[in-house]
Amino acid sequence: MIPRRRATAPLPGWLALVACVAALVLALLNPDASADIPAPVVVPLPTPAPSGSTINPAPTGSAISPLPAPTTLFAPPIDDDATTRSGRAAMPGDAEVPLEWMPPGSGASPLPSEEIFPPQTIPLRFNHKKHVKELKLTCRSCHSDAYGSVDAADRLLPKPAKACDGCHETDHSDLRAVKASAIPMGKCSFCHVGAKAGVGGKVAAVVIPTPNLHFPHKLHLARNIQCGQCHGKIDELELATREQMPRMAGCFTCHAMSGPAEGEAKSECTTCHLSQPDGRMQVAFSTGKLLPPRWLHDSGHAADWIERHKTAAANDSAFCGSCHTDKYCADCHDGKVRPRNIHPNDFLSMHPQAARQDSPRCVSCHQEQTFCADCHRRTGVARDAASGNLSGRRFHLPPEVWTTAPRGPQHHAWEAERNLNACVSCHTERDCTTCHATKGIAGGQGVNPHPLGFRSKCGLALQRNPRPCLVCHDGRDSLLGSCR
Amino acid sequence: MRDRPLARRPRFCALATALAVLTPTESRAADFDVQADTALQGYEVTSPWGDVVLQRRRMLQTVGLGVYNLQGEHRPGEADYRLVVRMRLNADFGVNAHLDDRQGGGETTYATSAGNGLRFVPGLESAPLDLMYGYVEGRNLAHGLLGFKIGRQYVTDALGWWGFDGGLVRITTPFYVQAEAYAGLEQRGGLPLSTSRFESQGEWRGSHTGFGIGASMPSVTDYPAYQYAEPAPAFGFAIESAGPRWIHGRFSYRRVYNTGTSVVTMFPDPVGGGYRTIAGTRLSQERIGWAGELIKNDLGTVKGGFSYDLYSQIVASYTGGVEAYLGKRGTIGADVDYFVPTFDADSIWNWFTRSPVTSITGRASIRFTKRFDATMSGGARLWSADGDPATFGVGECNAAKTMPVCTTIPSPTTGIDPSTGGNAATGAQPWSRLPENRAVSTTLDLLGNVNARYRFGSGNVTLKGMLQTGARGSREGVDLGTEKGLDGGRYTLGARTSLYGWHDPTRPDRDATSFGYVLAAGFAPLRAANFRLEWEHDINRLVGQRYRVLALINLLVLK
Repeated sequence: MIPRRRATAPLPGWLALVACVAALVLALLNPDASADIPAPVVVPLPTPAPSGSTINPAPTGSAISPLPAPTTLFAPPIDDDATTRSGRAAMPGDAEVPLEWMPPGSGASPLPSEEIFPPQTIPLRFNHKKHVKELKLTCRSCHSDAYGSVDAADRLLPKPAKACDGCHETDHSDLRAVKASAIPMGKCSFCHVGAKAGVGGKVAAVVIPTPNLHFPHKLHLARNIQCGQCHGKIDELELATREQMPRMAGCFTCHAMSGPAEGEAKSECTTCHLSQPDGRMQVAFSTGKLLPPRWLHDSGHAADWIERHKTAAANDSAFCGSCHTDKYCADCHDGKVRPRNIHPNDFLSMHPQAARQDSPRCVSCHQEQTFCADCHRRTGVARDAASGNLSGRRFHLPPEVWTTAPRGPQHHAWEAERNLNACVSCHTERDCTTCHATKGIAGGQGVNPHPLGFRSKCGLALQRNPRPCLVCHDGRDSLLGSCR
Repeated sequence: MRDRPLARRPRFCALATALAVLTPTESRAADFDVQADTALQGYEVTSPWGDVVLQRRRMLQTVGLGVYNLQGEHRPGEADYRLVVRMRLNADFGVNAHLDDRQGGGETTYATSAGNGLRFVPGLESAPLDLMYGYVEGRNLAHGLLGFKIGRQYVTDALGWWGFDGGLVRITTPFYVQAEAYAGLEQRGGLPLSTSRFESQGEWRGSHTGFGIGASMPSVTDYPAYQYAEPAPAFGFAIESAGPRWIHGRFSYRRVYNTGTSVVTMFPDPVGGGYRTIAGTRLSQERIGWAGELIKNDLGTVKGGFSYDLYSQIVASYTGGVEAYLGKRGTIGADVDYFVPTFDADSIWNWFTRSPVTSITGRASIRFTKRFDATMSGGARLWSADGDPATFGVGECNAAKTMPVCTTIPSPTTGIDPSTGGNAATGAQPWSRLPENRAVSTTLDLLGNVNARYRFGSGNVTLKGMLQTGARGSREGVDLGTEKGLDGGRYTLGARTSLYGWHDPTRPDRDATSFGYVLAAGFAPLRAANFRLEWEHDINRLVGQRYRVLALINLLVLK
């Protein structure tokens, strides 16, 4: 036995603590480089066009910066009269959109995922309801590119020269020299919002980052899945934003078939989600980590998820494998490095009490007769420790309290009944049979450990595996015969 | 003359290998990764009496290879094939390190100059190597109808997390049901490249390499509880729903056999004959289980599951829960969790009286913002026992007619043993086994947990607190931790403080209040490599100061 000694720290603990906390505070105060998001690009025009305002319109094409913006910007237009008050939000006065007009699945997910549809900047005013219901335009009138789109990265906003100029009497044919018109709805600020929109030939940029998913509009439309089936009733709305983007719960209306019945609507996660080379989903994005919603296998990764994940894993382990590798599970469940979020503090010292109170958790990761008992044998806790390891000191209460009858409140029988796993983490069968085996060849004292009702079960058990019976009973034991 | 062909053989093999490697073959777009994770840690282990008894100097290294999309380009829903392998070396250079010269190597070697078996722990290895998993998998074959997995693999279901060597076939029907069937050998400690992690509880098994009858060799009879590691044939199946997300369930069945010889009697036959053994194929475990859920996306969840041990003929566990979604930020719910220990069918402990542990908790989860969420739960854990511990002993003494002073059963004066039977002469009854004296009594623990998490751009702050208190002692504590990435994640800093207290009424000398902190720093020079160093310091009266140093080195090569 190595005597206790005072460990010598290479660095005083308090000094290391102060140094690290100070460093951490400094780090926290430091601007977060990875979270810095460039402001939307506003490009000044080199020379204003001679007639009317010349503006640099929103770069709605492929030149749009893919970087996400923090929020949707929406400043009022400078000519704030009644005719230009509409189209600033989905509903007049920014009222809440009725659920039945929202994309399917919005009841489960009121907002689209920021990881899938990063926040956008749409400094525009547009009234879909007016265009569709009053002016009798169709989705295709403005979004014709969607009908041939096979990639979610395609830019599907209307080209103003094609879709807007005809009615608004503007000229967007040269985006570096856009011509406004004299009519009210031909002014820059009629559609472009933001302080001084169009003044000096500048408008705020539309920033719509590329969605982080696969989505072929063309295939869906070919299946006669119409716009409203994914985007909701946009014809009832004014401005459409990312809130009109599909929700995963809505996608499952079709993408929820079984195996060969799937057809083209595959239900694999990577049908829509971006994937890694090993086939798992990509979950890390600049806007955050993609986590499952709570309604998907009840697997919302809340702060206590680690304590609750077992039912989801037992229910559908393939679901976990959408994001996690075998190694991820093994790191804890076949753990060789103590995970601090499960075993905090000085768990080596605390674990006896933890095992006493919460033993079911131990066996979800540890095989007691080897993982636990091997260490207990080495430290001299186990009863069958080698003689050189034995400390000579008793771990349990004195025998008259712990072992011998009559059974007082602290007798080991109660502990064994309540928490037999804890016994097994130190004791082998030999320890228990010392008393609980029958007298004679089995070498015990004949103290019966069986539960009430045992006799009704023992016959089948004996038939299927006689070994445990024979540990305590001689093969000719009449008690054994009664089970046969 | 014999030397020449032998000398040529390696050259021939090398040439053949080179040709095989270099010969042009059809180009494939397979992806692969090679990952090596290394964890180095050092700390001391004290015995329950405060002595430093072990030095742990551990090195855990896993090396994994994954080759994906062996078929070529991956298309969702179409057939794909992959090969995944991971090996692990779990070395502890502290094994034997605390022994003096005379006992040198004594933990892993039976014979030492100080004596035989003084420190020997059967089955203990200082640097075991195992194959964590290694399989070939095919998915979505035959238009999504078939899938397979061959090799060492994990199965996760209501029966637990389990590993075996063998094959698994999955059939996914067009009718919202899929079925799995698998067969092979359960992974068992003591067999090559295997650990005991996946065995049922209760049996101490391992390799008997080096055992024998020589004086300097450990004998089976020295360690009768230490059983031979033998192949364990296993099979099982599962039926699982597929497709709809609002309902899901998986029913599982598994059977495992023990084979070979097992030492049965723990003591030698007093009339000669030594230890008795049993040989042949016998049951190890047979269980069924189910887990399922019913979800309404905007309302809540009902879920549940159970496992039933067909050998022990008892419900081994069940869980159930109901959750209600309160708007988009709140969730409330209630859960129940029931557990009874079950063991390998070779083990005697299946037939010891054992009672369930049942936890009933309520839970509330609030997502204040996208960055900040918190959960709270509380409830009770019920410990059952057959009989009332407070009065049972008095009843035994009354039955044995030893009152008013009763210290020993059977009674030295009357000879009556109320635990085994009555006494016709005195009219005493077999008191201990009468059902009316074995009514279930319960002990209560109160439980409480709080978890909170705040995430900012490149870091997070977490809080985790817990309380468990009752007649069986108490544990309470809180952890506060933070991680922060710098320079786009190139550097990381972490800190954690922890304050816990615990109290065990059966061992009050082990009560303690412990403070600990962890400081961590990481560096990722490349996307493919990161290093992390952690310093842990725990302070309590049981160990004084305990230090733990942990170094992590992770390397990843992707193509």
